[in-house]
Amino acid sequence: MSPTAGRRPWPLGGPPSLRGRATLALTAVAVVLTTAVAVGVWVFATQYLLYTRQNVTLGQAVANASLVQRGLSAEGLSRPQLLSQLPRETGSVSLLVDDGEWSTTSLRIGQEELPEALRSAVREGTPSRQRITVDGEPYLAVGVPLAGLDEAYFEVFPLRELDSTFEVLGVLLGLAVLAVAPVSAAVGWWVTRPALRPLDRISAAAAAIAAGDLGARIDPRGDPSLAPIAASFNATAAALEQRVRADARFASDVSHELRSPLTTMLNAMALVEAYADDLPADGREGLALLRSEVLDFERLVADLLEISRTDAGNTDLVIEDVRLAALVREALTRRAATGGGSVDLTVRADAADTVVRADKRRLERVLRNLIDNADTHGGGLTAVSVERSPDSACVVVDDAGPGIPAEERAAVFERFARGSGSTRASSDGSGLGLSLVSRHVQLMGGSVLVTDAPGGGARFVVRLPADAGTGQHP
Amino acid sequence: MGSPGSTGRAVLIIEDDERIRRVVSITLRREGLEVIEAGSGEEGLARLAERPFDIVLLDLMLPGRDGFEVCREIRRVSTTPVIMVTARADSHDVVAGLEAGADDYVTKPFVAKELSARIRALARRTRASGARPRVVVGDLEIAPADGVVTRDGAVVPLTKTEFKLLAELAAERGRVLSREALLERVWGYDYFGDSRLVDVHVRRLRKKVEADPANPTIVTTVRGMGYRLPE
Repeated sequence: MSPTAGRRPWPLGGPPSLRGRATLALTAVAVVLTTAVAVGVWVFATQYLLYTRQNVTLGQAVANASLVQRGLSAEGLSRPQLLSQLPRETGSVSLLVDDGEWSTTSLRIGQEELPEALRSAVREGTPSRQRITVDGEPYLAVGVPLAGLDEAYFEVFPLRELDSTFEVLGVLLGLAVLAVAPVSAAVGWWVTRPALRPLDRISAAAAAIAAGDLGARIDPRGDPSLAPIAASFNATAAALEQRVRADARFASDVSHELRSPLTTMLNAMALVEAYADDLPADGREGLALLRSEVLDFERLVADLLEISRTDAGNTDLVIEDVRLAALVREALTRRAATGGGSVDLTVRADAADTVVRADKRRLERVLRNLIDNADTHGGGLTAVSVERSPDSACVVVDDAGPGIPAEERAAVFERFARGSGSTRASSDGSGLGLSLVSRHVQLMGGSVLVTDAPGGGARFVVRLPADAGTGQHP
Repeated sequence: MGSPGSTGRAVLIIEDDERIRRVVSITLRREGLEVIEAGSGEEGLARLAERPFDIVLLDLMLPGRDGFEVCREIRRVSTTPVIMVTARADSHDVVAGLEAGADDYVTKPFVAKELSARIRALARRTRASGARPRVVVGDLEIAPADGVVTRDGAVVPLTKTEFKLLAELAAERGRVLSREALLERVWGYDYFGDSRLVDVHVRRLRKKVEADPANPTIVTTVRGMGYRLPE
């Protein structure tokens, strides 16, 4: 599984991913465009409605003005009567000025409400109109000069309906703009997924390679746009894989070639050792030095071979049921048998029969390397315990050394990592031991970590998956 | 310090690397074993034709006829236990060697002194075999005292290890023996034995004793537990 598979590309907070940025840009463009369209619609619609309204009102005012003109000539009616008979739309008010004398059909709107500019313009013979406000309500005042001197007809039309139309329109357009933002963000998020899937595939493949899967490639099928980059990516990955495998094979071949001479050396040394008592002191010391080097050499070759084998991808994992406590006890017995002294093994009551699914050979190696590490670098093994939790089991290995500072803990599992202050001692390990521990444990689906032992030394904890309730073994 | 109680077991070492051959044979002689050396597969087979051996130590990486081929040839003519020497502990090599008929294996670099323990364990006859009664399973008759298995009176050609495996299962008839228990009883291993030894030997045994090796009725598998000879 690729490590990026579960990553949410753009949670709120943190730097946005490419997909996040694309979505953001799309949303911004959509909002800007929608706003522009909304403004355009607003301007056009309001101007048009206003224009239509003005034409209608002007038409009515002019028609009424001629009716008034005619009524004045007939002289049969008083001026207020004349005004009240005019056909008017609801809410409009007629005003008449005749030689400075004003008549009106409304109590609210009189000559005071008409602006002086309008009145004087009309009095001078120019039909005019103007927007006015009376008691907070919008009106359109239209003035038409009549035939007589200082005689004019005014009509004041309410604009409230038009304004509320504008309001509704404005609200609708505003809402549309507001709604576009989340909708386009959602659509963008949804639409960019297939569009950016090629990038996801590339990043997944790169992550897989970085995580050690050298065989990871990009499959360009179903995505023509991906083909060129996939081809060059795959070529690079193939070259890298070949290179890494060649290096690993070389290391493997070298250590392999060393096995035969090592066999001879080990056995010849054992033969000479049978006569160690007959040797002078110098000879014995020389033999002891030879022995420690040959044994180190053997361990180095074995570790090198093991690690290069896992590098070369040749992982012959044999997973089976392993009784953890028995295996640990056996490893400690071996240590005691080779002169390592005895260390108490604490097996928690619930861990006594724990069976883990593991590769026995690898697990044995893991235990041996941890014990060797405690003895050679940690001032000696102090305690080993086997513990159990519902879904896992762990082996805890403590040593008597100074412990490992928190900042160096991750590095101890790297190859040829040596403690900051350590010099090469005769009993130094291969430098690969803990690296192998970590690789083997991971391969078996477990984990290993370093903390502080209660006595101040280092504590290594190997955790392996174990079935819940697997207490019994045949 | 040759073991005083030496039984004079004879070991044939087939190994092309002269230095390894020499040092191993010196060590094994000091352990009280009689050692004959052979530098190639052909030479080894020739020595094997001349006289009986209690055990053959066979390097898998030989020039000319390789160890797998030599092993199959040895199996054709003899039931002598074979310990193969592999340079690679890779699953493939070990299993292929066992399939070819080897009884056990050691990986280079090995210590010859420890090897002598393996040799003794393999050369040993079944434990207390004289006291064990005959067992009849279907048409198969297992006679631990005689060290033979017969079917309808005809001897079934088993290697010593295959026989020991069958005899151990027969001795505990009806009971399940775990791989670890079988490793200990047949190969003399402690808990650290390679359970593939058991699995491959059971496979080989089934080919010889079962009417249908794919559906075994004599050596049955009890999943997750081990193997059993049914009542």
